[in-house]
Amino acid sequence: MIADLGFKATKSFLTACLVLFAVQGTAGIWDDGNIEEGQALFNANCASCHKVTNEVLAAPGLAGIADRWGASEELLVQWIQNPQGAAESGDSYIKSLVSRYVPTYGWMTAQAVSAEDVKNIMAYVQNPPDAAPVADSGSDCITVDELPIEEANNDSGVWFVMLLVLFLIIAMAAAGVNRSLTNASREKDGGALLEDLPYGQRVKMWAWENRVAVSLIGVFIVAYGAVLGYQGLMRVGVVEGYKPNQPIQFIHSVHVCENEVDCKYCHHSAYESKHAGIPSTNVCMNCHKAVKKGRRYGETEIGKIYEAIGFDATSGTYVDGEGKNGYASPQDTYDGDPIRWNKVHNLPDHVFFSHQQHVVVGGLQCQNCHGDVETYTVGRVAKVEDINQLVDKYPGLIELSKPTLTMGWCIECHNKAEIDLASSGYYEEIHHRLKDHLRGNEELRMYMEDDKITVKELGGWECAKCHY
Amino acid sequence: MMNIRNSIVLSAVATVLVATTGCVNNPDSSGLEYMPDMYRSPAVEAYVDYGQDPYQVGEEVASSQRMVQSARKPVAGTIAFHPEAMDFVMPYPYPNTVEGYEAAGLALASPLTQIGQAEIEAGQEIYTLMCTQCHGEEGKGNGALSRNGHIQGIPSYSDKLKDLPEGKMYHTLTYGKGLMGSHASQLSQKDRWLVIEYIKVLQQGGEMPEFDENGNVVKSASTEAGDAMAMNN
Ligand code: HEC
Ligand code: HEC
Ligand code: HEC
Ligand code: HEC
Ligand code: HEC
Ligand code: HEC
Ligand code: HEC
Repeated sequence: MIADLGFKATKSFLTACLVLFAVQGTAGIWDDGNIEEGQALFNANCASCHKVTNEVLAAPGLAGIADRWGASEELLVQWIQNPQGAAESGDSYIKSLVSRYVPTYGWMTAQAVSAEDVKNIMAYVQNPPDAAPVADSGSDCITVDELPIEEANNDSGVWFVMLLVLFLIIAMAAAGVNRSLTNASREKDGGALLEDLPYGQRVKMWAWENRVAVSLIGVFIVAYGAVLGYQGLMRVGVVEGYKPNQPIQFIHSVHVCENEVDCKYCHHSAYESKHAGIPSTNVCMNCHKAVKKGRRYGETEIGKIYEAIGFDATSGTYVDGEGKNGYASPQDTYDGDPIRWNKVHNLPDHVFFSHQQHVVVGGLQCQNCHGDVETYTVGRVAKVEDINQLVDKYPGLIELSKPTLTMGWCIECHNKAEIDLASSGYYEEIHHRLKDHLRGNEELRMYMEDDKITVKELGGWECAKCHY
Repeated sequence: MMNIRNSIVLSAVATVLVATTGCVNNPDSSGLEYMPDMYRSPAVEAYVDYGQDPYQVGEEVASSQRMVQSARKPVAGTIAFHPEAMDFVMPYPYPNTVEGYEAAGLALASPLTQIGQAEIEAGQEIYTLMCTQCHGEEGKGNGALSRNGHIQGIPSYSDKLKDLPEGKMYHTLTYGKGLMGSHASQLSQKDRWLVIEYIKVLQQGGEMPEFDENGNVVKSASTEAGDAMAMNN
């Protein structure tokens, strides 16, 4: 309590000084400030809470500020330098401001800016130059315009088949026309007309006349069919390249590459559990509270996040007022429809796979299994050839040949991946025992012959490690 | 000319071909699989909400089950039990209000008992992965989001936030403050305290304190502040 009183006393003293100071330096705060300096000051000090439009970020927007404060120029400077002090002045506008915003956004923090600075800031706030388009960070990220547009359905195969059918029909029609023309010309010359045989018979005759070519083609077609059939069977259960449509056109490259958000920010449980997890909506809101528009889809896609979590973009508050700052309190009342992402990777139920084992203990990079996610839009199952291309970009990737997410792929990597036994406490016991081979334990010698320990040698090929 | 029967046969063949290639090329289908009930089994798995087998319980029951999330929150009022880390599972007593923030700043102190190289480096790793996109590598508020103009004016730890007490940091990480959202769903309580240890280093300018061979801090301003805190309680 005593401390509290002391605090108050210093504050009133400070306020007094500030008022004195302010009176001297604020002639005409609404005009003749330097817009450029104001902009720099604003971005450095105020932009994390205020916008120059009337959009609410973490505080009221400053558009039309001159109408609201008008003549109380000193008070405004005082407010910016020490809001709680200025509130003690008992000004009625400040009272209404405080009762309206402090319960939701808390007190504005005191700003270390001079009256001159405030003048420049106000010049900028009143006449903000048109916002320059957000520059691509000049890095080698794939830009939004280069990304492929998600199409609802790109059935190139269908067009191929349709073309083939069209071609057949034209060929047959042409044959028919050809026949009528020949007949017509023979009729004119008085020769014998072509026999009017049924279609099948004519084809048979034609085939017999060209039997060498036809049998060659036949053999070719049978062989081709067999190869295709074999390949088709080998694709059963292989999901490489699978990229379903998602309820929100999420773009990995914008987040991961352009804005340098690490995978862990969104898929943090990859480091702690079996699952890598899909981020919950409050994680998106950590940034999308401020980022309300995308360069590609404008407000539509980001609006779906707001819809799901119950956020009002214009007032900058959560609908139920409880999930303040994205913190989900037990009293949450908003009953929105959650975002239903479609699952992309999906191992069958009879397989156990743990991210933590591979990412934390094994030290593998996400790209080794998921490809170059920083160039993706929505998630997809990477193709193993594409992953092999990345070796230059991500040193240390293990090159594999079997399709991803098949058993052959897991096994192949377990045969190739080496383990650094000393790296973590996880292998202490095994490490200790393996060192025994130096003391003549023949049974263990075979493991150390090639001077490296693979996952397989530690049991990575045991059926029960993956199936139980 | 081509007779009608031929064209019927042809168009039938065409339809079948179109239909089959159509479903293989559909991006919303993962392709042919055998034993599909092993990929989408009725068992409850995180992130898989397929419900019971529609052949047995009917499509209606199955689809209503699909609408229920399989990932659940813990039962209200329960506390995780970690015998060796009970300090990090207790509910957070300060309310999500302005007063709660101030109170946390005055009274809340880190439950970490031992703060050495391991803890500070763990904090640094969390910071690098989770916070740099906004706060920047050195904590000056110039991360990529700020440079790209999305979130500006993020305060610098070594400047505006130099004297911020750890209790306020923890409160902000838990509930959020202004444009910084709550990170409670991404960081466990222990992770939050670990990253705060590294922020204290950044408040001092970002230079790692010296460690002795056991990984204990030799001398640094932040540990002194920490000790003072602990004594106040
Ligand atoms: C930490 C967030 C924060 C920062 C940084 C901040 N403000 Fe504020 N500001 C607020 C809040 C919140 C309010 C609403 C009143 C309250 O709750 O205290 C406010 C109110 C105001 C108002 C009154 C608005 C009105 O509609 O009448 C002005 C003017 C203002 N701020 C100017 C500034 C200037 C100029 C700066 C930079 C030098 C700045 N603020 C920095 C949070 C902030
Ligand atoms: C670390 C900050 C951050 C997080 C977390 C984040 N985003 Fe974004 N998001 C951005 C930024 C920055 C942009 C770029 C806006 C632009 O195009 O200029 C963006 C753009 C987008 C876009 C629009 C793309 C366009 O060009 O129209 C969508 C959709 C989107 N994010 C969805 C999400 C979803 C869903 C989540 C949660 C899983 C999420 N974001 C989490 C920062 C973030
Ligand atoms: C050894 C290969 C491998 C590595 C390394 C790996 N993943 Fe995975 N990931 C998989 C497999 C296999 C699945 C499918 C798991 C399932 O269906 O049970 C998967 C699934 C996922 C999913 C879908 C959600 C889930 O949990 O099932 C996400 C998201 C994901 N991984 C992200 C990551 C991130 C982020 C990293 C890096 C930190 C990473 N993965 C590292 C193999 C890997
Ligand atoms: C801003 C948040 C964010 C970041 C950062 C992010 N992701 Fe994702 N990721 C998502 C969301 C949301 C989805 C679900 C939508 C989809 O499939 O695209 C997803 C989906 C995925 C999937 C497919 C999941 C499935 O259903 O099988 C993989 C794999 C994946 N991410 C890997 C990564 C990797 C690797 C990184 C780091 C390079 C990364 N992500 C970074 C938000 C993020
Ligand atoms: C890119 C290489 C790679 C791929 C692909 C891979 N793994 Fe692994 N896996 C490893 C490494 C490395 C370890 C050893 C981690 C450690 O314990 O140090 C490991 C360990 C394991 C373990 C624990 C083994 C033990 O001895 O305890 C299991 C289980 C496992 N993997 C399952 C799978 C499954 C299932 C798949 C396929 C879906 C898979 N892995 C794909 C590299 C891989
Ligand atoms: C490294 C992990 C791993 C080990 C070890 C492993 N499997 Fe598998 N197995 C898998 C994965 C992953 C699949 C699922 C492949 C898919 O979905 O296409 C699978 C699938 C299968 C299938 C179903 C057929 C198929 O390909 O889908 C059988 C049968 C099988 N495994 C038997 C075995 C036997 C027998 C052993 C021991 C000799 C064994 N597995 C060892 C990971 C493993
Ligand atoms: C989306 C961008 C963003 C991310 C990610 C982010 N911060 Fe912040 N942080 C901010 C902003 C903006 C502020 C200023 C909040 C204010 O005072 O209004 C802030 C303020 C803070 C403060 C000072 C709070 C106070 O009480 O004044 C601390 C401490 C902090 N952040 C720590 C962290 C840590 C630790 C992480 C990583 C786990 C992190 N932040 C991640 C944007 C972010």
